[in-house]
Amino acid sequence: MKLKLTLSASLFALSAAILPGVAVAEVSPLDLVQPIADYKIYVSENSEKLVADTKAFTDAVKAGDVEKAKSLFGATRMSYEAIEPIAELFSDLDGSIDSRADDHELAEKDPGFTGFHRIEYGLFAQNSTEGLGPVADQLMADVTELNKRITDLTLPPEKVVGGAAVLMEEVAATKISGEEDRYSHTDLWDFKANFDGSRKIFDLVRPLIEKDEAAFVTKVSANFDAVDTTLAKYKTADGYELYDKLSEDDRKVLAAAVNTLAEDLSTLRGKLGLN
Amino acid sequence: MAANDKGLVTTRRNVLFGVGAASGVLATGLGSASAAAKQEEQVTDAPVSGKTQERQPFYGVHQAGIITPRPAAGMIAAFDVLASTPEDVERLFRTLSERIAFLMQGGKPPVFDDRLPPSDSGILGPVIPPDNLTMTVSLGSSFFAKRDWLGAHKPKRLSRMKAFRNDALDGDLCHGDLTLQISSNTPDTNIHALRDIIKTMPDLLVLRWKQEGSVPVLPPKPDGSHESARNFLGFRDGSANPDANNTELMDRIVWLTENSDEPEWARRGSYQVVRIIRNFVERWDRTPLGEQERIIGRKKATGAPFSGETEHDVPDYVKDPEGKVTPLDAHIRLANLRTPESGANLILRRPFNYSNGVSKSGQLEQGLLFICYQADLEKGFITVQRQLDGEPLEEYIKPIGGGFFFTLPGPLDETDFLGRTLLEAAGHAVTRVRS
Repeated sequence: MKLKLTLSASLFALSAAILPGVAVAEVSPLDLVQPIADYKIYVSENSEKLVADTKAFTDAVKAGDVEKAKSLFGATRMSYEAIEPIAELFSDLDGSIDSRADDHELAEKDPGFTGFHRIEYGLFAQNSTEGLGPVADQLMADVTELNKRITDLTLPPEKVVGGAAVLMEEVAATKISGEEDRYSHTDLWDFKANFDGSRKIFDLVRPLIEKDEAAFVTKVSANFDAVDTTLAKYKTADGYELYDKLSEDDRKVLAAAVNTLAEDLSTLRGKLGLN
Repeated sequence: MAANDKGLVTTRRNVLFGVGAASGVLATGLGSASAAAKQEEQVTDAPVSGKTQERQPFYGVHQAGIITPRPAAGMIAAFDVLASTPEDVERLFRTLSERIAFLMQGGKPPVFDDRLPPSDSGILGPVIPPDNLTMTVSLGSSFFAKRDWLGAHKPKRLSRMKAFRNDALDGDLCHGDLTLQISSNTPDTNIHALRDIIKTMPDLLVLRWKQEGSVPVLPPKPDGSHESARNFLGFRDGSANPDANNTELMDRIVWLTENSDEPEWARRGSYQVVRIIRNFVERWDRTPLGEQERIIGRKKATGAPFSGETEHDVPDYVKDPEGKVTPLDAHIRLANLRTPESGANLILRRPFNYSNGVSKSGQLEQGLLFICYQADLEKGFITVQRQLDGEPLEEYIKPIGGGFFFTLPGPLDETDFLGRTLLEAAGHAVTRVRS
């Protein structure tokens, strides 16, 4: 019915674009229990992996092994990036773990600049682990604390479902430009994790809307597929090519896909009847 | 509550603020109508305009926004286009046409369930005023080059802008597959329109760059005459523009017609040139008035040429072959030689002034968002700019961005859409039904 209404209102007929209708799907809160429980498992698995990977990464930093630390950097971040909407619920830890130089007034020289990107700066811009020991200790302590807090956390459904769009907004606003991993250029690893994290949420709730929102589900899946296909071109044996290898045309394909996903997934909460 | 007093309430605001508004009325003992009548102006009251219902027609032989008198606010937004198949390009053109038709007409956007993002940004309120909006769609040469099935249909003179002598082009401010020239009475109306397009077509369009600009507003003259607006150099700009009300002239200077050797689909269209020209205004302001006037070739206060009294007086270069009245390298003299042959080089200018902030050196980043239209890109802008290469004004200006584009023919009526003739020329059958 929604679709018919859309098409007859000629001025607003957006052809194949998905126009959310005036009503939302009838989804009972109980229907969300299982997807949220499954997502909790996904988040926990990732945060445990984050702790393990960060241990290996920070050990390499503290041992002064620049090359090994560099090689672990991109992969270590992926489990954090995949669950960013949940990790960001703890803003103190997020700032300490994942802030970027431009989040701080004195940029790279700012004492508040810590975490992954501070270590990235040392490893890739200065080719050194000098002075990184305390930063590595802090990072290890932070991800351990994050894991503990996540274990105790009851996931708010609107945060979980909204997270699918939040991940896309993150990529659209601050990552598509290649500014996230500006020293290491491992941005495509982050992209992959962000997209996977978003798709995980979408896939978990997908059965609840598949019938009423078939066109929406098809369109969103197609955009996720387009992203996967594009990123697959840059897959290497142990990860992804550096961001500067990304062609201008592929960057545009990713930009359009991420904007479209952000736009469409912004209706996901509403479609599931969540405020 | 203020929103409630003005009757501008959405369903959502009603729910949120309805109770508060009602209790506020009870507490003060004033009905909202009488309260509004007696209300004195408050600091944050919206400025009032009597022009919000001005409306330009979307349908017509030519697109609006070219010979349409230039309003106070303008913008160029350049996009990369993702649509690659004929079907997707048709969807792009149709959706653009639908959105532009609605935005230029104004009206109420659809209201969705509160649990969904709203259909409209809401920055103009729940009822969108037309506000003299025009949105003009043009295509860059890359639009044709990237699509095999369109390559043969590129307008003959459409090229990728190359740097001229004085240019210092910034790649992030140049070119694009598609431009929207958005103009209206207010910057807010333009921004609203841009946000609508971005929200509606994220899978088809990726924003590449944009530049906003403005035109200083003048009080009406008692005798009903008009003056050209001033640019950021303080000079009137456009005094020698051809008369846009003269259809015969526009058919010669601006529009591609049946007399042109261009592809038939492109008739009724025009070539658009956009140039972001930074002005070094601090330095200009430290230049003696006489030198400023000699560089431009006009008197600053009136805009008149040195041999005349008003801006519309025509300088006679035949009587001044040595440049004793108007220097031979004055801007207006190089831009328009005023010889029998130079009539072929006329262009229709429609520029806006822009101001962007502060350079790293602490100087103002401002200048001219130059826009012009012509039937022949090579005889028009390219020839004129080559004549200007090396002019003394170059010390004070630096073109940093822009591009060359082809402005599509107008959508004829409600069965038509922008770009239809191009799709048909490329062998893609489209249906024309009343939308």
